[in-house]
Amino acid sequence: MSSVDSKKGVGDWVSGVGSDRTIAYLLIAPTIAVLLALTIYPLIYSIKVSFESSSGTATLQNFTRLFTDQFFLSALSHTFVYAAIALTVEFLLGLGLALLLDSQIRARNVWRTMLLVPMMLPPVVVGVVWRLMLNSNFGAVNGTLKSFGVNADALTWTASPKLAMASVIIADVWQWTPFMFLILLAGLQAIPREPYEAALVDGSTAWQTFRHVTLPLLKPAILIALLLRTMELLRVFDHIFILTEGGPGLATETLGLYIYRTAFRFSNFGYAAAMSFVLLLITNIISAGYIRLLQTRET
Amino acid sequence: MKSTRFVFAIIAVIALAVSGCQRSGTQDTRTLTLAINSGVEGDALKQAAKDYEQQTGIHINIAEFPYANLFEKELIDLNARTGAYDLIMLDDPWFPKFASLNVLTDLMPLLQKRGKSGPDDDFVATSIALGREPYQTGALYALPYVGNSQLFFYRKDLFQKHNLKEPATWDDVLAAAKTISENETNGAPGGGKVYGYVMRAAQGNAAVADFMPIFWAFGGEMFDGAGQPTVNSPEGIAALKFMIELGKYSPPGYASFNADEVGAHLLQGTAAMSINWPAWISSFSDASKSKVIGRMEFGQLPAAKNPGRAEIGNWLIAIPRDAKNIEAAMDFLLWVTQREQMKLSAQRGNPPTRKSLFTDPEMVAKFPSYPAQLRSLESSRPRPRTPLWNEIENAFGIYLSKANSGELTAEDAMNQANAEIKRIVERGQ
Amino acid sequence: MSVRSPTVREGKLRSLQPTKPFAYARASDTAFEMEQMKPVRFLKYAVIIIALLLTLAPVYWMITISFKREVDQFALPPKWFVFTPTLEHYADAFINRSFGQYLFNSLFVAVASTICALVIGTLAAYALARFRLPWNLDRKLALWILSTRMFPAIVTAVPLFLIMRAVWLVNTRVSLIIVYTGLNLPFVVWMMRGFFAEVPRDLEEAAMVDGDSRMGAFWRVVLPLVAPGLAATAVFCLIVSWNEFLFALVLTQTDDAMTLPVGIAGRVTQYGIKWGAMSAAAVVAMVPILVFALSVQRYLVRGLSLGAVKG
Repeated sequence: MSSVDSKKGVGDWVSGVGSDRTIAYLLIAPTIAVLLALTIYPLIYSIKVSFESSSGTATLQNFTRLFTDQFFLSALSHTFVYAAIALTVEFLLGLGLALLLDSQIRARNVWRTMLLVPMMLPPVVVGVVWRLMLNSNFGAVNGTLKSFGVNADALTWTASPKLAMASVIIADVWQWTPFMFLILLAGLQAIPREPYEAALVDGSTAWQTFRHVTLPLLKPAILIALLLRTMELLRVFDHIFILTEGGPGLATETLGLYIYRTAFRFSNFGYAAAMSFVLLLITNIISAGYIRLLQTRET
Repeated sequence: MKSTRFVFAIIAVIALAVSGCQRSGTQDTRTLTLAINSGVEGDALKQAAKDYEQQTGIHINIAEFPYANLFEKELIDLNARTGAYDLIMLDDPWFPKFASLNVLTDLMPLLQKRGKSGPDDDFVATSIALGREPYQTGALYALPYVGNSQLFFYRKDLFQKHNLKEPATWDDVLAAAKTISENETNGAPGGGKVYGYVMRAAQGNAAVADFMPIFWAFGGEMFDGAGQPTVNSPEGIAALKFMIELGKYSPPGYASFNADEVGAHLLQGTAAMSINWPAWISSFSDASKSKVIGRMEFGQLPAAKNPGRAEIGNWLIAIPRDAKNIEAAMDFLLWVTQREQMKLSAQRGNPPTRKSLFTDPEMVAKFPSYPAQLRSLESSRPRPRTPLWNEIENAFGIYLSKANSGELTAEDAMNQANAEIKRIVERGQ
Repeated sequence: MSVRSPTVREGKLRSLQPTKPFAYARASDTAFEMEQMKPVRFLKYAVIIIALLLTLAPVYWMITISFKREVDQFALPPKWFVFTPTLEHYADAFINRSFGQYLFNSLFVAVASTICALVIGTLAAYALARFRLPWNLDRKLALWILSTRMFPAIVTAVPLFLIMRAVWLVNTRVSLIIVYTGLNLPFVVWMMRGFFAEVPRDLEEAAMVDGDSRMGAFWRVVLPLVAPGLAATAVFCLIVSWNEFLFALVLTQTDDAMTLPVGIAGRVTQYGIKWGAMSAAAVVAMVPILVFALSVQRYLVRGLSLGAVKG
């Protein structure tokens, strides 16, 4: 860990000889410059338009509207449902697969390679693939179920208010479980062997070892994976846009879709920006939670 | 200092890499850029552009976007006054938005400069009216290129088999849908059920487009004279109840169908009736797509309290106000909408907007549905002409879709839709 | 890396009843694998095969769609294996439409933005991993850099379009390269910071004692050691740039700069989706990134096992 190493040479690395610090600033400067250029103006612009009415006068109406807008409130709750379910399923499946491939197994690299395919596809394509698979009349999923003698007529997937949410989650899980799996597998393989050997000597069960050795040592990888996925899930847009466009009714309309529609189709950037600040706030709170959990490990 | 030099070297490399990428999109007077719809209408325009290039030596750039993104794309670019496009294709319900923003070129002065007193009389009245703001009477900002209006599609073989006549009223439609659904449980090509009717009730454009002809026929109106929404009138609620009733004979899941699902059902022979756009007609005689060759007939929209009227859905072409080559764009616009060019476009599968082409014997021989299409087009209605239409259609479509999927009753859906549309109208004022 | 003591307390483990060795644990000796019961092993492979089927079947289905005539695409029961193949959709994509140009744009933008992000981000990551700045600035900067990824792209798209218009970069590949560089930077910084933290300082100090400058030591000693990490990070950047849709849609206006995802979405027409052409384009979009990612995936996993875990 860096905290251990850094005790050495504190004098010249930490407080810094003048030239060292100059180098540090020079090295960081380009990154800061690019990110400032690409974020500061958009941020100022968004703040400005969010306090403007459609005619350009100063107003708070974009923010007061949030509390009474049924479409916004339902989009918010859909976003939470979507993120929570997809995150849980992706985590459990990803962890299961990672444990499986971390165990003694032949041709591990071949399996791993093939399992990673979905996360490399453009999300636009994933939306198309699943629209194709889940079409209730001509899709491969129902077609295959039917050829096994299952009566799949009632499974209308993206068309049914009840199954539409499941459909968009299935597509997300399909694409992003590999990402979860990849990070968790990497985490597992970085765990040293000694604690396991100790556990083996102690004669603990598989579950006990998992609970008391694997999980604690895997915690940083788990938190990173959850953090990255949560940030993406909260603003999900691409697959849903292609799979259901938020329907039927409002069944799968998440915040990302509603913001998009408001900004681009209704050209109401002020209200879209106001909603984005809500999304940003939520993302920040949740991320701060994860980061705090991560840091408790380090102290 | 060595390290600073290193940093500068890196910065220089980045600068080189960035400046090395070529700038594109340089414009000169011999170049036109078109924003077009990805689909059969855009394809026809693309072909015409190629011919025009060969004839005149003017280079034409094409920017092709999917229907869902074209509007957004054009709105951003026109609003930001980038002048990126010299000509844009637009669907007629978008027109009031562009007109209200004052981002289109008035075509009349350009016509007069070319010795014309106005657009050709040959254009169908309902089509040319769409390109004026205010509707029908105002200044001309766009010319109609593709003359779509809805038709009633039905399977004449099944109608003959069950002794049914072409439906004149919506009650006839419901009765025929019931008969076919009940008797054709195994009548689809390759086995399987034939559904009496198929409609699209996905939220947004789809549900509204399939509902409007029923709504109008039942006597519903979206707005009263004062611009207040009236979708929850008794007529409106009765129309939605009827739509839901008809939905019982539609394939499961129709509440999220879009055009492609409806088209697939009709082409695979698993549904017998539908309201649809003429662009589908040619597919029914294409053996690589259709299992019902020669069995589909195209008629007028059924009536109820009021005579049946189709919704119009024309593609217009306009010149942005900030276009770089307005004169050259106008020359192209007049060239591509003249009779001979539009005939070529029609032969590529797009309904024309000129009366003389709908009645041209050569064209009627090739497209037997042309007389029906002209009748439909001439009696068609536009969607309510408001710059807020996208937002209103979105809200209305959501409630229609919810009612069709069983989430809301017809009354609740219409009352909530009315309240929502009212809020949209008030915000827009 | 240094080993932290597991949070398991010895006493607690001892008190547990000794039972059979766990099936999945990481033991290296082959004798252990022999001990594994046959049903367990069978089950393991069965689960993997099922997971693979679920993972690959949709991709396979899409590939077949790209070679099927329209009448076969929606046939019931689904035609998984036997159908009349056709290349018409590929011809449509590359001859009638500009997918060749989109492919070139995508390649150009993805490679250039990945290089830019790697160069800029790696330098910052090195500084953040190695130097302590006053007021905890190094840590605060690192968090700020990460937080720039949280603002929804949907809202930044419009103001970015206005910026690009102001500097006459709308509808150029350069505009996409700049935006994607910004999109990838936070990730590069965080990944690479983890890798640099892994490299013992002694190595650089030794090089500097031998007369190298700080940057010389970075260049000759540290960078080669983090090469696998760089490769892993590059793959991620490439995937992000290659797949990005929204900015590409907003910032491009003609074929000159449009990328593959925009072209693919363009096959959704008003009257339905051109499944064949879209699948053909999707296959073309999938193959290069897959070939590249899979060829360096060795580094990908190794890189992640250091970078992500160290965070």
